[in-house]
Amino acid sequence: MTQPDNIILVSPWIACAIIGLIITWPLYLLCKKRWYPTSSNDRDTTPPDWSTAPGSAEEKRPSFFHTWDPRFKIATLFAFCFVVVSLDALDTCLAALLISILAVFFSHTPWIRVQKRLVALSGFLTMFLVIMPFTSPAVEQETILLFPLLPTLPFHMYGLLTAVLICLKACSVALLMEPMFGTSSLTISLQALQQIGVPSPIIQMLLLTHRFIYLFQQEAHRMHRSMKLRGFSPKTNMATMCITGNFLGMLFIRSYERTQHVYEAMLSRGYNGIFPIYTQHRISAKDIAITGAWLITGLALLLFDAPAQALWL
Amino acid sequence: MHIADGVLPTSIIFTTYALSSAGIAYSLRKINPDDLPKIAVVTASFFVASLIHLPLGPTSVHLLLPGLMGILLGPAAAFLSVAVGLVLQSILFQFGGLTALGANSMMIGVPAVLCGFFFLRFQGTTLRSNVAGAAIAGGLGTLLAALILAGLLYTSGENFLRVAQLALVAHIPVVLIEAVVSAAAVSFIFRVKPEMLNWSRTLVCTNDAAR
Repeated sequence: MTQPDNIILVSPWIACAIIGLIITWPLYLLCKKRWYPTSSNDRDTTPPDWSTAPGSAEEKRPSFFHTWDPRFKIATLFAFCFVVVSLDALDTCLAALLISILAVFFSHTPWIRVQKRLVALSGFLTMFLVIMPFTSPAVEQETILLFPLLPTLPFHMYGLLTAVLICLKACSVALLMEPMFGTSSLTISLQALQQIGVPSPIIQMLLLTHRFIYLFQQEAHRMHRSMKLRGFSPKTNMATMCITGNFLGMLFIRSYERTQHVYEAMLSRGYNGIFPIYTQHRISAKDIAITGAWLITGLALLLFDAPAQALWL
Repeated sequence: MHIADGVLPTSIIFTTYALSSAGIAYSLRKINPDDLPKIAVVTASFFVASLIHLPLGPTSVHLLLPGLMGILLGPAAAFLSVAVGLVLQSILFQFGGLTALGANSMMIGVPAVLCGFFFLRFQGTTLRSNVAGAAIAGGLGTLLAALILAGLLYTSGENFLRVAQLALVAHIPVVLIEAVVSAAAVSFIFRVKPEMLNWSRTLVCTNDAAR
């Protein structure tokens, strides 16, 4: 076994403080929720318009992300995401996160969408942050923290570094996706993808599936409401699982029964296997300039990352 | 559980993207283009179904449903349907990474296709054989998904070994839940609309006799 360079004994007080924080933080969040309950009475009771899927409206304040040719935008940012995930050094990852934050800021993305993305990531990333430092194998020249009462579980700083890098990369890609797909409507984004070279059946599937998700969500809500009215409350038992199975069965049968109607309705409106594209984009010098700037940023990140990679291996 | 961005090394990311593209190409080749709208409608219902959370002790788990997707959509359409669902989850519903899309499609899509093949062979004509097939397919699908997840994490580096093991252990209750839920769903469908369980056979291009 390789000997680590530094072993730091963490004082019991600091350990107590960390454990206290870990315990009180979720409690604080719970209490906050209970103290400021969102009243169910003042919610919007007007039925939503299901003919248009939410999230497809364009933002009010245009930014250079909105005017950027969607084909260039998606291709460039997609490539940039791959650059970000291939980074290996702490400073380049921090730079990537900073770039993503700036991109979100300049694209006028609503904070709630960014928050949703980060909350969705948090579970997976917390798992890494908690588990990796304790389970990472020992490497040479690293610092180990030894907590009191946990002598068999050394806290590896190398493992923590790996976990932090993963978090930084995941957050920067998640943030970048908002300017990438949130600044033009889904239809335009998908048409851009088709023009880039994604096969048209996939684009059609995406558009149609997106259209029907909201319909079935509403249907599921309706079924769930009637289940609750009849006294259904989910627990960890056999009955809940069987009821859920029946619920899913009903949902699938309704969707299946709809398939034929949908197909016939589409045929009667002249569907012949292709969705026509009406929007035409003309490539301007500005598009190329922005694309070039992004690509140079990506290359710079890769270049600055290379020495760090050499150092690690 | 979705794999987030930044976990997998670049080589694995490109490999999984290539394999998923091959899977989608296989799907597109096998199915009749006329059936695309129908598959899209059912995919949307699966998307909604995967948002359901079941309580498990103090926490809750959400259903992955690779087994049921394989059963209802069949091996031909399942992979395309999984990939479309994941792309939409990623770009619109803030779930799952962009660069990990290939890995995530492999994780749910491959078990779905295998379960589809399995159920076609095992299905039979009685309620009991259908329900047994569904239970096995449901459990097996989730187990395979967990194994692929653990495998992908493990190939990403030695220091992910423990995370991979933990992820595998955490999926054991989900395997059991999925088996029961799949069995209940198929039993319901068999009694209410049995022809839906044979629908996947008509989706395959080469099998024109069943159309």
